Amino acid sequence: MHQQIPHESAALHVTGEALYIDDLPSSPSLLIGRVVYSPYAHARIVSYDLTKAREAPGVVAVLSAKDIPGHNQMGPVVKDEPCLAAEGVTFIGQAVFLIAARTDAQCRAAEKLIDVKYVPLEAILTLEEAIAANNLLGPPRRMQRGDVEVALGSAPHVLKGELRTGAAEHWYLETQAALCVPGEGPEMTVYSSSQNPSETQKLVAEVLGVKKKDVVVEVRRIGGGFGGKETQGNHVACWSALLCRATGCPVKIRLFRDEDMIMTGKRHRFLTRYEVGFDDQGKLLGVKFELNSDAGAATDLSFAIMERAMFHCDNAYYVPAIDVTARVWRTNLPSNTAFRGFGGPQAMAAMETVIDRVARYLHKDAAEIRQANFYGLEQDNVTHYGQVVENNRLHTIFDQLMKSSEYAARRKAVQEFNAANEFWKKGLALTPVKFGISFTTSHLNQAGALVNIYSDGTVLVNHGGTEMGQGLHTKIQQIAATELGISIDRVRVNATNTSKVPNTSPTAASTGTDMNGMAVKHAVETLKDRIAECVAALFNERDPSAVHTAKGDCCFESDVIFDSRHPERRIGFAEAIPQVIVRRVSLSATGFYRTPGIGWDKTKGVGTPFRYYAFGMAVSEVLVDTLTGAMTLLRTDILHDAGDSINPGIDTGQIEGGYIQGLGWCTTEEIKWDSAGNLMTHSPDTYKIPTAKDIPIDFRVTLLEQATNPNAIYGSKTVAEPPFMLGLSTWMAIKDAISAVANHTVEPEYALPATNEVILLSIEKLRNMMKVNASEPVHA
Amino acid sequence: MKNCIAFVLDGKVVEVAFGTTSLFTPTTTVLNYLRGLPHHRGVKEGCAEGDCGACTVVVGELTAAKKVEYRAVNSCMLFLPMLHGKQLITVENLKGPAGELHPVQQALVNAHGSQCGYCTPGIVMTLFALYKSASKPSREEIADTLAGNLCRCTGYRPLLEAAAEACSGDGRDEFAKDEARVVDLLNSIPCEGISISSGEQCYDQPASLNACLALLEKRPDAIVVNGATDVALRVTKEFEVLPQIIDCSRIDELREVASDSGALTIGAGVRVSEVMKIVRHDFPAFHQMLELFAAGQIRNVATLGGNVGTASPVGDALPVLIAYGASFILRSRKGTRTVRAAEFVRGYRKTERRTDELITSIVLPRPSARTKIRFYKVSKRRNLDIATVSAAFKLDLDRGGRVDDIVLVYGGMADCTKRSVTTEGFLKGKPWDRRYVEEAQRLVDNDFSPISDVRGSAEFRRIAARNLLLKFWSETNV
Ligand SMILES: Cc1cc2nc3c(=O)[nH]c(=O)nc-3n(C[C@H](O)[C@H](O)[C@H](O)COP(=O)(O)OP(=O)(O)OC[C@H]3O[C@@H](n4cnc5c(N)ncnc54)[C@H](O)[C@@H]3O)c2cc1C
Ligand code: FES
Ligand code: FES
Repeated sequence: MHQQIPHESAALHVTGEALYIDDLPSSPSLLIGRVVYSPYAHARIVSYDLTKAREAPGVVAVLSAKDIPGHNQMGPVVKDEPCLAAEGVTFIGQAVFLIAARTDAQCRAAEKLIDVKYVPLEAILTLEEAIAANNLLGPPRRMQRGDVEVALGSAPHVLKGELRTGAAEHWYLETQAALCVPGEGPEMTVYSSSQNPSETQKLVAEVLGVKKKDVVVEVRRIGGGFGGKETQGNHVACWSALLCRATGCPVKIRLFRDEDMIMTGKRHRFLTRYEVGFDDQGKLLGVKFELNSDAGAATDLSFAIMERAMFHCDNAYYVPAIDVTARVWRTNLPSNTAFRGFGGPQAMAAMETVIDRVARYLHKDAAEIRQANFYGLEQDNVTHYGQVVENNRLHTIFDQLMKSSEYAARRKAVQEFNAANEFWKKGLALTPVKFGISFTTSHLNQAGALVNIYSDGTVLVNHGGTEMGQGLHTKIQQIAATELGISIDRVRVNATNTSKVPNTSPTAASTGTDMNGMAVKHAVETLKDRIAECVAALFNERDPSAVHTAKGDCCFESDVIFDSRHPERRIGFAEAIPQVIVRRVSLSATGFYRTPGIGWDKTKGVGTPFRYYAFGMAVSEVLVDTLTGAMTLLRTDILHDAGDSINPGIDTGQIEGGYIQGLGWCTTEEIKWDSAGNLMTHSPDTYKIPTAKDIPIDFRVTLLEQATNPNAIYGSKTVAEPPFMLGLSTWMAIKDAISAVANHTVEPEYALPATNEVILLSIEKLRNMMKVNASEPVHA
Repeated sequence: MKNCIAFVLDGKVVEVAFGTTSLFTPTTTVLNYLRGLPHHRGVKEGCAEGDCGACTVVVGELTAAKKVEYRAVNSCMLFLPMLHGKQLITVENLKGPAGELHPVQQALVNAHGSQCGYCTPGIVMTLFALYKSASKPSREEIADTLAGNLCRCTGYRPLLEAAAEACSGDGRDEFAKDEARVVDLLNSIPCEGISISSGEQCYDQPASLNACLALLEKRPDAIVVNGATDVALRVTKEFEVLPQIIDCSRIDELREVASDSGALTIGAGVRVSEVMKIVRHDFPAFHQMLELFAAGQIRNVATLGGNVGTASPVGDALPVLIAYGASFILRSRKGTRTVRAAEFVRGYRKTERRTDELITSIVLPRPSARTKIRFYKVSKRRNLDIATVSAAFKLDLDRGGRVDDIVLVYGGMADCTKRSVTTEGFLKGKPWDRRYVEEAQRLVDNDFSPISDVRGSAEFRRIAARNLLLKFWSETNV
């Protein structure tokens, strides 16, 4: 435990032996599936003719909504997502027909023979249009504490403004994929790249009109998920299943990169309006947020995402009076979905903007304002939804990081550099993250496991979580091995399979290890108890004269089971197992876990939605070429709280990877649609995620020491999502550099992502303003 | 060879036949070929356009010194016949005889270099080529080498660490032990040109310039390819069937480099990665441009001839070539002519080249010691991105500090690479002072009416274009 062992699949990854959906051995009867999607953002389907396509060479089936044997529905929460469009289409990329043929080329040829007539209707493609048309997806929600109007009215200073944060594409390297294999009668096995196999199973059963018992979903590993396969991995599975049922053959669909980008949802765009009141020291007195998100054409997880945004608009700061209103808007774009951070990043970007503005207004260092407003240890430690911020590590992390990053000295150096350089400006910023861990939909906070021990003393662990690179299976393997006191190579974690562990929650909300780890631990404890009983009996039988070994005396360590009081009474683990079998004791056990101590009242907006909070901070320094808008990330220092890390190698990887993903969202990743609703950035040619050259030149990541977390397995703390939001430190540092162009006297225009274009246009505005004001004295 | 190609894979010579009964066409990509085999599915498709590196394989090629030289390339952009006479190495080939991991594989395991693992086979192959180059790379060079491999999980730091650990040696491994045998295998493959016809397609890979020119004369509609990094997109992204292809990647005459005191002459078929080495010292602005050009796997196949051949308004080479006063040698069966780079492009993706002609080389005159040339590329992401605006500027000042000659070439500002003639005219004869440069900045605006597109707005382009002039001034006024 707490060891840096490599990812359980590392050797398979580097040799190319790790199998993803598209790599599974194919049978001669395998068919390739293709999705024909809507070319209109909003249209009525008037008529279509599939005859010619059905007759095309190699084609085995062409399906429309009429050919769905079960429910034409795949909405995960609200039933507003047809599996195939029937009467009309509501976004470009919406599935309308399915084709199965021997080859992909035959599918594409057949697609050209489909004759569909659409009548285009007016489409809503921006948040502004949705707001103007009052196209709400559901009723607005509100969370508040104190009287904001009073707070703003009496505050010495008030600022207001708005912030736009952009959509983003998950860009998992493995595009959405599923392979369905028919069994007898209604049986079907679905090999899927889904973060939520139980939901995939449910939806596949529903579209096929069969029962869950007839559908098995298996996920060996996912080639990257990041939330993009929490609900939308279900879609390809449903489509493949329909084709599989219609043809009686195995059918595989793997979306082509451009099609994946066109058809699937993104991170929600947000338009946030804010108003803040504060005192001369920069203490926040009241903040009003109006959050608006672009849900796209259907609900998907949009309300849960908005709810998390509402929970996290405070980020790490205590705000005595706060009022958050949230509206989720419907547009004619693919339904936006979960993406690492789940609404948190969008809300935190707004809060960090508030802090940054306060600092600039007061001519203070933003880090000072941040510190002044952190949640307190003893007081000012309750969030706007009533949860106490326990085990608050903000102050510890801040103090350590300010020192280790040499913030003060570097701030001075940055100022000197900026004074000496007209065309190059540097920026420096520290941003924190406080992130609540648990599904905010409380019933999802449960997990199951099934552990089998075989007669040769090896162990197969099944649990409900999916492995998508985050190292969940490695940690689970560590947990099982530690509990049984055996070496890691005796334990294998099985592919996630709905027939082994039923009714599981998605692997999301950063809960994978916390919950599944505990479920596995419980199963292993049951088994240990049974084994210990047998072993104790064995010891006593072998040596009846001597003292008695009780099952509680049995210790499991270093592949040996022994009596802790009489260590000479010992047996190898592998030797012990056949003895258990001979005694006719079961070596298969389930485990279950429900996260304790959480619960919250949605209607009142108060309670304890989170088991605990994760904390981290980053300091980033950038260099901006003010003539081109190009940005160089000079250095980033991160100090993150991973509790007593189960595997520091894996956790560091999550921090680095999360931060770089956040960096992409904050800088180069820009999603653009044209005026008809076509995605313009539909391939890596135009959609730019960070490369190896974009990471900080000097990159220092440290795990917080002495950080035992009382609320999760082995004192650990999840890492998965929170580091994404540390990317905001870069975003704020860039703004700091832009702001230096006008000597920090003017609030720069800014947006997220801060592309070179956003940076340059903002600088140009400042320059023009400076020219106009050149005659007037500038107050410093 | 007729309707057949041969290359080395898994330690033996493999022949692939084309024709009506073949599973393959001459534009089948190496990626799709490999993924159709039962034991080569480690190679992955992430984009099918050369932008992610998940499909990276290594191609071994005989050098003049009878050694094997290893290059990482994107298999998604490589047509099968391009393997002819070469060695194809995939991630499955790297393990040692007893199943032990190759040093680059082991280093990645140790450094936590894989998370979801989907990008990993491609990264292994890029690092394998780096390992074999025995170049003792710096961190900067490692990052540059990996810029063509996108990874969404790791944040790259462990990859850089693994590379630094594994690639610091002399390149010795199982492949080195087997090299002599592979050289023999490669030598056993006939080296004459190949000619493939397969249903709707014909594909020729002539082995000499003369043979190529003869073909060009006969087939005015044929598409010429060299690296095919531009043309392949029509197959991999647009699913076009290209009926006639003439592949000039095997023509030695196009790979020649000649240098004298007046000029450097680079064959049109010299790969960009080679060009980088050749121009590093004497043509720094050219080198600067190539450092920002695509990424390693593309540079290892893309050619200069292909870059100017595209006549793309955002192609990176043309602005620099114009600034250097370069010219192109065009050859056909009828003769040879020289066209100045500045006059080569005739409009949106239209060039001076007649269908029976080939660009055979590019002549780069050596600038005088006083001449200042710079290249700038404004792109959303620094590496592996196409320019939103690019510029190459050349400046000669007279002894009095006045502008003697100035060339201001812009990419991305019009439908083809274009000079800002008004600005040049204004600045000529003026002192190279900020005052005049600032005045000239306004004139840049008058020379162009850029468009707004996915890469940037017209306003952004305008501001960037005029700022680049000031940037040039700031770097040259010392
Ligand atoms: C991922 C990716 C990144 C890229 N990045 C960049 C970049 O940063 N900057 C940039 O400028 N380009 C970039 N490109 C475009 C392309 O790679 C380059 O233009 C490359 O130089 C083309 O060379 P090639 O040999 O592969 O050309 P090919 O595809 O073989 O040919 C391109 C064109 O040139 C013609 N042609 C080729 N050789 C000759 C010849 N000898 N005589 C006459 N005509 C010829 C062909 O007929 C064709 O029209 C990128 C492409 C990809 C896929
Ligand atoms: S598949 Fe992305 S570069 Fe080849
Ligand atoms: S490890 Fe997942 S993309 Fe690199």
